[in-house]
Amino acid sequence: MEKLKYSSFLKLLCYLLIPIVTIILILSMADVFITAEYGEFNSQQDAIKTYNFGEEYLYNIISEVRYIKSNQERILEDYTQYSKITDNSYQNSIYYKPLINSTSSIYDYIEFIIIDEETGILYTNIRTEEYQKEINEITNNETFWTYEDGNIKTNIEAINQENAKYIIASYSTNYLEGMKIYTRFDDNSYTYSNSYFIQQAVYNMFKTNQNLPAYLIPITSISLIVMVIYLIWALGHEKDKKEIQLNGVDKIPYEILSVIVFFVIGMLISLGVASIETQVINQKMLISLLLLSYLGSYASFAAWVTTTIKRIKAKEFLHSFLIYKICKWFVVKIKTLVERLLDKEDNTKNIAIVYWGFVIISCIIAMIFNSFLGTIILLAFWFWVFHEIMQYNKKLNKINLALKEIYEGHSDIDLDEEELKGVLKSMAKYINDIAGGFTNAIEQSLKSERLKTELITNVSHDIKTPLTSIINYVDLLKQEDIKDEKIKQYIDILNQKSLRLKKLIEDLVEASKVSSGNVKLNIETINLKELLQQTIGEFEDKFEKKELIIDVNLPQEDIKIQADNRYMYRIIENLFSNITKYAADKTRVYIDLTKQNNEIKLEIKNISKDRLNISADELMQRFVRGDKSRYTEGSGLGLSIAKSLTELQGGRFNIQIDGDLFKVIIKW
Amino acid sequence: MYNILVVDDDREIVKAIEIYLSKEGYNILKAYDGEEALKQLTENEVHLVILDVMMPNKDGLETLEEIRKTKTLPVIMLSAKSEDYDKIAGLNIGADDYVTKPFNPLELIARVNSCIRRYVNFGSLNNKKEETNILKSGNLIVNDDMKKVEVDGKEIKLTATEYNILKFLLKNKGKVFSISQIYENVWNEESYGAENIIAVHIRHIREKIEINPKEPKYLKVIWGIGYKIENLD
Repeated sequence: MEKLKYSSFLKLLCYLLIPIVTIILILSMADVFITAEYGEFNSQQDAIKTYNFGEEYLYNIISEVRYIKSNQERILEDYTQYSKITDNSYQNSIYYKPLINSTSSIYDYIEFIIIDEETGILYTNIRTEEYQKEINEITNNETFWTYEDGNIKTNIEAINQENAKYIIASYSTNYLEGMKIYTRFDDNSYTYSNSYFIQQAVYNMFKTNQNLPAYLIPITSISLIVMVIYLIWALGHEKDKKEIQLNGVDKIPYEILSVIVFFVIGMLISLGVASIETQVINQKMLISLLLLSYLGSYASFAAWVTTTIKRIKAKEFLHSFLIYKICKWFVVKIKTLVERLLDKEDNTKNIAIVYWGFVIISCIIAMIFNSFLGTIILLAFWFWVFHEIMQYNKKLNKINLALKEIYEGHSDIDLDEEELKGVLKSMAKYINDIAGGFTNAIEQSLKSERLKTELITNVSHDIKTPLTSIINYVDLLKQEDIKDEKIKQYIDILNQKSLRLKKLIEDLVEASKVSSGNVKLNIETINLKELLQQTIGEFEDKFEKKELIIDVNLPQEDIKIQADNRYMYRIIENLFSNITKYAADKTRVYIDLTKQNNEIKLEIKNISKDRLNISADELMQRFVRGDKSRYTEGSGLGLSIAKSLTELQGGRFNIQIDGDLFKVIIKW
Repeated sequence: MYNILVVDDDREIVKAIEIYLSKEGYNILKAYDGEEALKQLTENEVHLVILDVMMPNKDGLETLEEIRKTKTLPVIMLSAKSEDYDKIAGLNIGADDYVTKPFNPLELIARVNSCIRRYVNFGSLNNKKEETNILKSGNLIVNDDMKKVEVDGKEIKLTATEYNILKFLLKNKGKVFSISQIYENVWNEESYGAENIIAVHIRHIREKIEINPKEPKYLKVIWGIGYKIENLD
């Protein structure tokens, strides 16, 4: 299939075959139609013997007689038409009109003698010595026709007595009254210009291949259709080239090419017609001229159709009109002018110029063209202006959207500056720069956060190794049998502090990860009520040790939230662990979980054992704790971690301090 | 007398571990990098390896890979890296357990004992399968006929309530149950909100059957959802 498409040989073959096949088709059709139209040619090879010929012959005679009758006075006076001659054998006047300067086609091939019995005047186009003798001789002629006292003598069968009467009856017959008509057919002057001859010539031409069978018509028509469809499909495609290939001819403006092509075709057809009508040429020459005319027309037409198809296929048809190019040139000129005017940073003045320019152009269009055309052109022009305004507005909206995105905190904006012009372009550039700055800043800060986390993690690994030895050897020391109470006390402190160091390092790593968002959340539906029950169970003995009274108020139904269950546990664990560390002994701890209007609220309240001379905000910041508690266990990162984790999971974390009352509120 | 190979580039840590494990009656072999460890393994009969991750020459993970090519003996990884993916990487290569530095000596000893028991008693553990009314997951075995609980071949004493909860969870190992579901199934009555005690019981069970209750191997806590016995078979 692809091969077929690219074969130039096949295309050439089609071009060559089409005229031949067309000729065969025309000839076969002509065979059928000519036979139907001029069937008698078949039986009567000689045109002279046909009815058509007879009718034309008779028509010419009657016309001449009519002319003579109605112009008798003019003829007698006007010697330019008929000249009076004398002949001794004929006693009355003779008016002779030579064959040349003829006004009627009768002079082309009929020699006649018409006698008006009323006046006794003889009209003729035969120059002879004795007319009486000539009249007698006419009937001896090869082809003749005479009319005497209503009687017809002829050897042309088509206009014998009966036929002639019928034909004469169809004209106004009173002209023939009192007329004697003697005519003979002049074979030599029967010329090519005679319409009858043309019929015969056409007949002869198309009858040359009389044996063309009728089935050639469907065969040739189908093959023609196939070839044309193939050409339409394959034209312009060349191997290894995706696009339609256009050559020099296809670049010529379409209307110019069309005018030239149809001028040439017109000339060639005229040549053909003229060659048929010209008297001088013989049949052989006629055929070659006709062929030239036909093939030339075909070649021009084929070239025109080919380029039309290719242009349409290449979607270049409209573009290849000169008028289109001119219009486009004007539009582009106006557009660039307008754009240049609007390009300025401060374009207020120029907008006025452009606006009034449009008004003036509209006025000019209205004045130049008539009302209907003018209206259409104006509407088209205004539509174009409308279209441009809409396009401009669309771009403006895009920029507005980009601004909105930045306003909402998105920084991944990339406006295409190339597709914008003028003020819009500079706007887009500024927006892109602002967005780029944001993105950079965010990336920078993310990167530095990540680096910080990495650094802390790596350092923590390095610290952990010696810490392992410290903890282990302190533990080994503890197991030694030491009598000195002082040494025992020192070892206890070492043990406590080394374990605290361990906890501090672990919390530090976690806090840095959580606050930089460097954790992977595994979000699922969890039951906050269940989680609280579980965590309370975990801390039950620790609470008991401090004799804390836990007042839990959980709702009857499950409280479902979307969260990472391990990090959720970390939040509650941190809060509970703070309670075990900082709540005053034997006090009440309130844990309330409620759900109201889709808002889930967890409130944990306890009484601090130390005075809280610190703000809630400071408490939540890393490494900040109530001053006194710095000397107890814990790292002080617990609240910070809990807050970061809550926010990472879409909640809000709040601390309220009221005297000794310490309150944590988490909301979803 | 079981031989334990301790590998760490920090000599003091190796020494400390030697002191602890010697007290437990183990014979200690020492190596200070991966190459040395592999050499020791070919020269001696070793029953367990304690392997540090970050070491010069050949690090712990590479050494473990080498060991696993020929040997099935238990390996406990010891590392300052406590990230989840570090642990997963070690366990995937073929470590039996993972202890993070700084470690609790008691925990390390418990894990060593557990691994050794499992390794040495492997055959005898298998025989117990044939008995009826045995529930098990990995090396956690509940013999319902004798109402006995065993972890790594060591008998664990549980209260009646704890035993019932454990039995129920082990029967449905792999499945997660919420507190109220456990209550309803073990007590056979509608939960009425006072089942907080279940969480306490489960913590107690964990403290008894797990080496490190904070990182349980058998009785897992799915925070905010419930509890389950991990299916280790």
